Amino acid sequence: MPPQGAGVTIGAPGKRRRGGGTTSSHDEHQESQSGEPGEKEPDIRFTLANERTFLAWNRTALALVVAGLGIVQLLPPFPRVPWGRHVLGIPLIALGAIVSVTAYLEWRRTQTAMRRSEPVPQSVLPRILVGTITGVAALSAVVLLVSAVR
Amino acid sequence: MPPGQPEDCSPDATALPEDPEDLSPGTAAERTRLAWERTAITFGVVGLVMLRDEPVAGLIVLAVTPLIWALARYVSAVPPPGAQARARRLLLVAVAVTGVAVVAAVAALLGHGGPVRLP
Repeated sequence: MPPQGAGVTIGAPGKRRRGGGTTSSHDEHQESQSGEPGEKEPDIRFTLANERTFLAWNRTALALVVAGLGIVQLLPPFPRVPWGRHVLGIPLIALGAIVSVTAYLEWRRTQTAMRRSEPVPQSVLPRILVGTITGVAALSAVVLLVSAVR
Repeated sequence: MPPGQPEDCSPDATALPEDPEDLSPGTAAERTRLAWERTAITFGVVGLVMLRDEPVAGLIVLAVTPLIWALARYVSAVPPPGAQARARRLLLVAVAVTGVAVVAAVAALLGHGGPVRLP
């Protein structure tokens, strides 16, 4: 029997469970329905954690959409910069769509890695988010400067 | 395992499990259901915000909210859904969020002095 915590990958069958005599259905590993032979469904708790991460990214995506929409619809127009609100709001809305689609692709990639007992791949979403938000912040500064100087 | 060492799975009432979730394994499913419900509520908020200026788009987004709420129920379904059913439901969420973003982008471009003018 391997020692507790020996597994370096998430979802490797048989690496956890000690719970004094209590067995529960969530610990059962099933053969994957869709995967190749040799792939096993990971512990349901890891599947659920992966799902929660996906949902959290989708809430982030919705927040970005609301932020973009709020900039376009609720802010008063920038003086002398009529396109200012759209330049700031539309990239945020587009980022919302990108984050949602990428979150699904990453959820699938992580689930496949766990099924194969491989290391979980690193997420690209934080980088996308940081890049776009930094870009929008810089753009806001430009719009404000143009609006003030012109 | 060396002989004489107690069985790994022997009951030990005093030791806490390695993972706190082992005390109550249902909490993972419950937390996930709550995450689904938060997502549904976020859809509702987005719908209400859109309702202000774009009533049609807002109503479309509000209509998605009960759908996401209904999906929250499958997390603790018995027996648990298979891998493909799970993937389909998550794909549905991703498509819904992308759809909301497209509706919002169209609303932003067409309304409020947007750069696109309908003929």
